[in-house]
Amino acid sequence: MSPRPGFVLEVDRSTPPTLFWHGEGFRLEKLPTGSRVLYAPEPLDPLEDPVGSIRRALLQPMGDAEPLPELLRPGMKLTIAFDDVSLPLPPMRSPDARQLVIEQVLDLAAEAGVDDVVLICALALHRRLTEAEMRHCVGDRIYDAFAPQGLLQQHDAEDADNLIHLGLTDHGEDVEINKRAATSDLLVYVNINLVAMDGGHKSVATGLASYRSLRHHHNARTMQQSRSFMDQHRSELHTSNWRMGRLIAESGVKVFQIETTLNTDTFPPQMRFLERREWEWSGRDRAGFLATSTALKRTPDRLARQILHSVRSPYRMTSVQAGEVEAVHAQTTENVYRQQLVAVEGQTDILTLGLPYICPYNVNSIMNPILVACLGLGYFFNMYKGRPLVREGGVVIMSHPTPWAFHPGHHPSYIDFFEQVLSETTDPAEVGKYEEAYATDPWYVHLYRTGNAYHGVHPFYMWYWCAHALEHLGAVIIVGGDRAAVRRLGFTPASTMADALEMATDVVGRDPSLTHLHSPPLIMADVS
Amino acid sequence: MKGLLVERSVPRFAAARLVSSITGSGTSAGVGPLRLTDVEAPALPGPGWYRVRPLLAGICGSDLATLDGRSSRYFEDIVSFPFVPGHEVVGVVEEAYAAPDSSDAPRALHGPALAPGTRVVVEPVLGCIARGIDPPCASCAEGRVGGCQRIAFGHIAPGLQIGFCADTGGGWSQAGLVAHGVQLHPVPEALSDDDAVMIEPTACAVHAALAAGVEPGDTVAVLGGGTVGLTTTAALRQLATPGTLLVGAKYGHQRELAGELGADLAVSPEQLTRAVRRRSRSLTSSGHLSGGADIVVDCVGSAESISQSLAMVRPRGRVVLVGMPGKTSLDLASLWHREVSLVGAYAYGCERSGAADRRTFDIAMEVVAAAQLGRLVSARYPLERFEEAVSHAGAAGRRGATKIVFEMHPRSPKGPAS
Amino acid sequence: MGTEMSGASRLLGRVQRGRADGFPWSAPHWPGAVERAAPDRKLGVDYDTQWSRRYPARLVRAMLLDNVSRPLAHLVAAPAVVGAEMLELVETPVIFVANHASHVDTGLLLSILPRRFRHRAVVAAAADHFFDRRWKAHLWALGLGAIPIERHKVNRRSADTAAALLDEGWNLIIFPEGGRSPDGWFQEFRGGAAYLARRTGRPVVPVHIDGTRQILAKDGGPLRRHRTRISFGTPLTAAEGEDARRFGVRIETTIATMADEGRSDWWTARRRAAAGTTPSPRGPDAAAWRRAWALGPGPGDDPEADEGRWAVSRH
Repeated sequence: MSPRPGFVLEVDRSTPPTLFWHGEGFRLEKLPTGSRVLYAPEPLDPLEDPVGSIRRALLQPMGDAEPLPELLRPGMKLTIAFDDVSLPLPPMRSPDARQLVIEQVLDLAAEAGVDDVVLICALALHRRLTEAEMRHCVGDRIYDAFAPQGLLQQHDAEDADNLIHLGLTDHGEDVEINKRAATSDLLVYVNINLVAMDGGHKSVATGLASYRSLRHHHNARTMQQSRSFMDQHRSELHTSNWRMGRLIAESGVKVFQIETTLNTDTFPPQMRFLERREWEWSGRDRAGFLATSTALKRTPDRLARQILHSVRSPYRMTSVQAGEVEAVHAQTTENVYRQQLVAVEGQTDILTLGLPYICPYNVNSIMNPILVACLGLGYFFNMYKGRPLVREGGVVIMSHPTPWAFHPGHHPSYIDFFEQVLSETTDPAEVGKYEEAYATDPWYVHLYRTGNAYHGVHPFYMWYWCAHALEHLGAVIIVGGDRAAVRRLGFTPASTMADALEMATDVVGRDPSLTHLHSPPLIMADVS
Repeated sequence: MKGLLVERSVPRFAAARLVSSITGSGTSAGVGPLRLTDVEAPALPGPGWYRVRPLLAGICGSDLATLDGRSSRYFEDIVSFPFVPGHEVVGVVEEAYAAPDSSDAPRALHGPALAPGTRVVVEPVLGCIARGIDPPCASCAEGRVGGCQRIAFGHIAPGLQIGFCADTGGGWSQAGLVAHGVQLHPVPEALSDDDAVMIEPTACAVHAALAAGVEPGDTVAVLGGGTVGLTTTAALRQLATPGTLLVGAKYGHQRELAGELGADLAVSPEQLTRAVRRRSRSLTSSGHLSGGADIVVDCVGSAESISQSLAMVRPRGRVVLVGMPGKTSLDLASLWHREVSLVGAYAYGCERSGAADRRTFDIAMEVVAAAQLGRLVSARYPLERFEEAVSHAGAAGRRGATKIVFEMHPRSPKGPAS
Repeated sequence: MGTEMSGASRLLGRVQRGRADGFPWSAPHWPGAVERAAPDRKLGVDYDTQWSRRYPARLVRAMLLDNVSRPLAHLVAAPAVVGAEMLELVETPVIFVANHASHVDTGLLLSILPRRFRHRAVVAAAADHFFDRRWKAHLWALGLGAIPIERHKVNRRSADTAAALLDEGWNLIIFPEGGRSPDGWFQEFRGGAAYLARRTGRPVVPVHIDGTRQILAKDGGPLRRHRTRISFGTPLTAAEGEDARRFGVRIETTIATMADEGRSDWWTARRRAAAGTTPSPRGPDAAAWRRAWALGPGPGDDPEADEGRWAVSRH
């Protein structure tokens, strides 16, 4: 049986309650009749022979690129850059797609007699990976072969000696990227294209860039003009990255892009109820749900987090593309859409979201209030093509415990951002006046470079990510959140979904239409 | 006449200590050393002394420490039992000492003569002049009575202040107290009773704010949002020119008040270190900031608050202890390594102001008037309800209050007249 | 002394009497006078192991494996497993092809295989060594799921059995050297594994086992604890037009590269493999002492590393 496409359910009186993610737990909510629920398409069949497919992609590249073996020669300088652990979510079961691809690239490099090889994790201003995370990304074999020699590196956007300024785009944007990558004879970029935002020129132009370069597109204005940033053709974020990418190519940096896509087989079998439609839950699914939700409720937060963050997703690769960046990315985007796109007719007054325990920036960490906002209003809100799921002036209701809690090692500047900046203003355009101070704060720089901390400026980016939604929406309500934290975000707290709906009607009027995004697994709405 | 009396009773102090350690400060009034009883009006000790009938008398943190049985043993020899507590007093002058022998005329040393009915605040420190010690000690000679070196000597019983002395009485009594003329300051009409009762605590704050030695533009952090913290914040804003004034206060209403009184940023205490770090753009190591605030004013006085203060002051900076500490265990490695000054700031006397000295109380009156500190008085209790009053004071922050006072004559209309 | 002797003889006498009297509870004696045909002892290659793959035997084996072998393997061999994630990508059944240096190899390899392989695996074992006595045949068939394979010549019957088992979905473990290494270096790989893989179309998972020789070598000595390293390579399938011989060579080269990887690192080993300079796993053609010398230390024996052989026993 081929996998079923996505589905839009209209709730009637016999519809069972709808599952909402709620941080480290779940809620079952009875939605009003007439509400719509968007269900993700079922996982596509994975590649039967991923290693063979990778090999073929490298030998028969797309666009005007030559086959990889012809680009490799003894004595050359080869750099392989790859995405960090901010994707996929949850982390995929070993072997990770990056490991499979990089092993094949290195095999070809070995056959060609290439000696000078450096691997760089393209983490931009994200936190450095721990050894365990790095091993998970590239596998023990590559780690043990490269890390002890210092050849497995993490991009450092504050290492002035290892950055190179390639020039200005025709819009006056600085392009400054990793020097080793830029001065190599060949830069191979290995990506996982989890959502439509990832990949393309954004891989190199963002992943290997410095703050000086990133600030040109990571700002409130750009994000307000990216509608959405998941739709690269209507995204100012991507337009800017494409300008930079082309400048990088013109500067003589030869990039061989390898992009992979995954299916939506997001949760292991014992949690498969999360991927199924409630009315199709078998006895096993119901037992699984009851056992999991009851156990998580009784587990201390810390432990529940640890348990959930140890979940490894059974994602499988659905495609691999290699070659020239733009040709590759066009095909990759098609493949992402093939898995995630769900056609939806018309907008809604109220959009409800159940937010899970994880977002791209809290792998093995705490989902702090800023990340809650970013996941809901940055990511889920923007998972659309065409028009936003919710109408202008509409309401987003999110379900998440939103604890006033931060991981001091991973998110030090987030704490200050929350305590200082958000206590003064929540306007994305306004917060910008603090950006410079945070970006250059020596302590944050130190923690970013030597610890496992996000760069000082990163919480601002999280807030900019919400900019389009904040401008578009009439109100944001968080159900079941820490009231003080929710208010600090500038949102309205509600203790139950019924209260939240009541509050929402005050904004959008009586008899509103409601749509629930039953995600994860990932869904991208194609709104007509 | 009704009054509250503290007696020397080891079992009662022990019981108070035990109870308050379990159920919280101020909750041990029932078992503690304080009791409501008939007290005699104290005798006027000599020339220059006046009898004062209190109108309002505040409950101070040091009073609570005494009642909770957690005062430092240090004070054992400089108090005398039984005593009537209460040293934050606004009252009315009732009578002056009438000399049996008219040759013993009042001298200038005794201060200006005060007419009965004058509304006064009491400067409770019992220095050399009040104690009849002539010549006075070096500190008192300079007018710095807070630093008096004869605090347990002279013709009255030991006691560092009125309210800790067996011979003078204290504010928490309808029988009144006796005070020397130099200890009495007439209150201007413009100040209400609430304002006036805040003058004594504000004087401590003024002394601390001036002792801190703030240079223009300095980053100053105040730790604590109770009476001491808030009056200190007001005093720093009025009398010094800090570049940035940061306040760490536990409760929302305290932070709000701190903001109104002049803090640039008021946050909860655990956030204060981060706020200082941001402002000074410091690095941190093992919990200490590499740089930090130029001056930290600790208005709490606990081991934690002092440790936090040491962690957020810059090298060669200054930590001023205004909150009363007790026996404390501290790691002073950073104090040694970073050459931090840890100084106390007690009471008042007079302050160098330009070329001349001014009495602290005079400055305090201006600060109280300018910052309208009477608003810090949150509740008045009659003496009969002392248990409630003390427990309200003990939980002031949690219950949204700042200063709790006793009112001696609840029926009488507000104001100096009676 | 006398009473003991008489006690012992009484006991012996009773035993003899008992044996005689046991019938019909015990089997009857064959009268010496009657001529008897040689019993039909189906041993060696002819031993039928079918029973050992039925449910009761599998259950016993699974329990032994999970509750005895696995803890024991971790205690004695502290296995460092490399590349096991690649097994995620293959469908069962597969043929595991490993080098062989010690009797503990089989138990160790079974112990660390993921569940879906571990509980459905048969081991090709030398018919002349493991199946020469009835009790040994029973023991190995039950304990390891062993099947008898003729190791010195091609035997149609054992090849058919193995192929049939693969078709039924059983994973097969083969040590193609046909016996344990006498000195730690590889012996010549025989063609059986490559032949079976080509015949059944199933992938070959190359496995390199290092360090078991230090636990129990062929020339005996007591069992000692030692660290081991087991690495799994990318599954191999015979390319179109690749005959069994060439495929066999490819399997051997892959395992040789993995052996090199154990002594250096993956990247170095890949480069040497690509350049054709992988050190021969069969060792130098020289005197025995030089062969032993050239072998170097085992995994975890690096004198520079502060966790030595005793690191295991310290815990």
